[in-house]
Amino acid sequence: MQLVVGVAEMRVSNQHEHVVITHALGSCIGVAIYDPLVKVGGLLHYMLPDSSLDVEKGRENPCMFADTGIPRLFRECYSLGALKHRMLVKVAGGSQVLGGPEHFNIGRRNYAALRKIFLKNNVLIGREDVGGSKARTMYLEIATGKVWVKVIGQNQTIIEL
Amino acid sequence: MSLVPQVLRSLKNLPPFPMVAQRTLVLLNKPEVSIQELVEVVKFDPAITANILRISNSAYFGLRREIHSLHQALLLLGTQELLKIIIASGATRLFSAPTPGYFAERQGLWRHSVSCALMVDVLSRELSLPDQATGFTAGLMHDIGKIVLSLFVEQKFHEIMEVVEQQGVSFQAAEKIILGVDHAEMGGEMARIWDFPDRLRLAITYHHLDKPEAYTDDLILLVYLADILCLMFGQDLGSDGLAYTGYPEVLRHFHLRERNLQRILLQFGSAWDEAQILFGLMGQQDGVQRANRG
Repeated sequence: MQLVVGVAEMRVSNQHEHVVITHALGSCIGVAIYDPLVKVGGLLHYMLPDSSLDVEKGRENPCMFADTGIPRLFRECYSLGALKHRMLVKVAGGSQVLGGPEHFNIGRRNYAALRKIFLKNNVLIGREDVGGSKARTMYLEIATGKVWVKVIGQNQTIIEL
Repeated sequence: MSLVPQVLRSLKNLPPFPMVAQRTLVLLNKPEVSIQELVEVVKFDPAITANILRISNSAYFGLRREIHSLHQALLLLGTQELLKIIIASGATRLFSAPTPGYFAERQGLWRHSVSCALMVDVLSRELSLPDQATGFTAGLMHDIGKIVLSLFVEQKFHEIMEVVEQQGVSFQAAEKIILGVDHAEMGGEMARIWDFPDRLRLAITYHHLDKPEAYTDDLILLVYLADILCLMFGQDLGSDGLAYTGYPEVLRHFHLRERNLQRILLQFGSAWDEAQILFGLMGQQDGVQRANRG
């Protein structure tokens, strides 16, 4: 069964039959985390780097921002028995339109915000597929912790992260 | 070998532009539109009147009282909002064919087009520009060229993508290189055949700012920026992904900094949720499901 994660949403699960999926990542970022021992995983699709932009919105919906959404994602997995040191972390998205890196760079900032949070908290990114100008769909299979990224396009190329 | 003759031949079979939308486009240029004129336009299409009432009463407007008549809708929403609804309702038929060259999902182009129209509205509000139905309409129509070009893009997708990846040019530039014509030019040609108002036609033709003429009208810059922001927002992205050029001079022109763009995306997220009823104009069943999901 598919659990769909919309923009600024997350889903966490320990049900083996679940595949958590988020469609069409542009400059947004999808973060999948998974504890292979208890087989608990979650997927977050956040839109913007920092809740200081709109603190109210960040409180209303923490999944909108990296700084509020990422801690929430980990906490929700902990509540299902996952432990931080066992977590496998995979990241996709953060695309950019063409042109210089100085403008329209929300994708890059989204990625930078995530790296900063992970560095501070000693979290390592296992695999990632970020940047470029691709549109991506991301899947997390709860039974195995496998993560796939599908590049939206005619081939519908699917890579395992 | 150039596909241009083939592409142009396909324009000969272009269906007529939906009549109600056509007649509404003419009203866009008038400073004042009377209720009588609007009634005249929609009276032959009961489905559109039903749509107007449905949309007027949806979260999109968030009115507290229920609207029962076209007259009431006009009083409470104003002419410009009503024109948007009529054009969106009237144009659905145009977008009903799948465009597999660009979107795997049947309604992909419609959803992207509605998103862009909404984004123009959000941008206009942020920039304190008058929120006119013309902007919304230009956003809705900017990619009509994809309706016709899809077939050719589908045939040559790999070659187009190769040019994008190897030469680092936009998807539109690659279309031009491989097919001899791109979706913006194609849309402009369709707008000419359908006798669209000039401003609208030029916004379609130049919405990727690849010609100097693009800079003659803020409407064109607005549609360009809305399109780019929709790609960044990400939902309903096509196979062309984000492979379009970001021009910083447009941000400077509108005095927009990155933080403004972030705020616009935030506002767009809410607008997008509330506008599910517009997405649903294409295939009502699907629309209801999506509206409920949100």
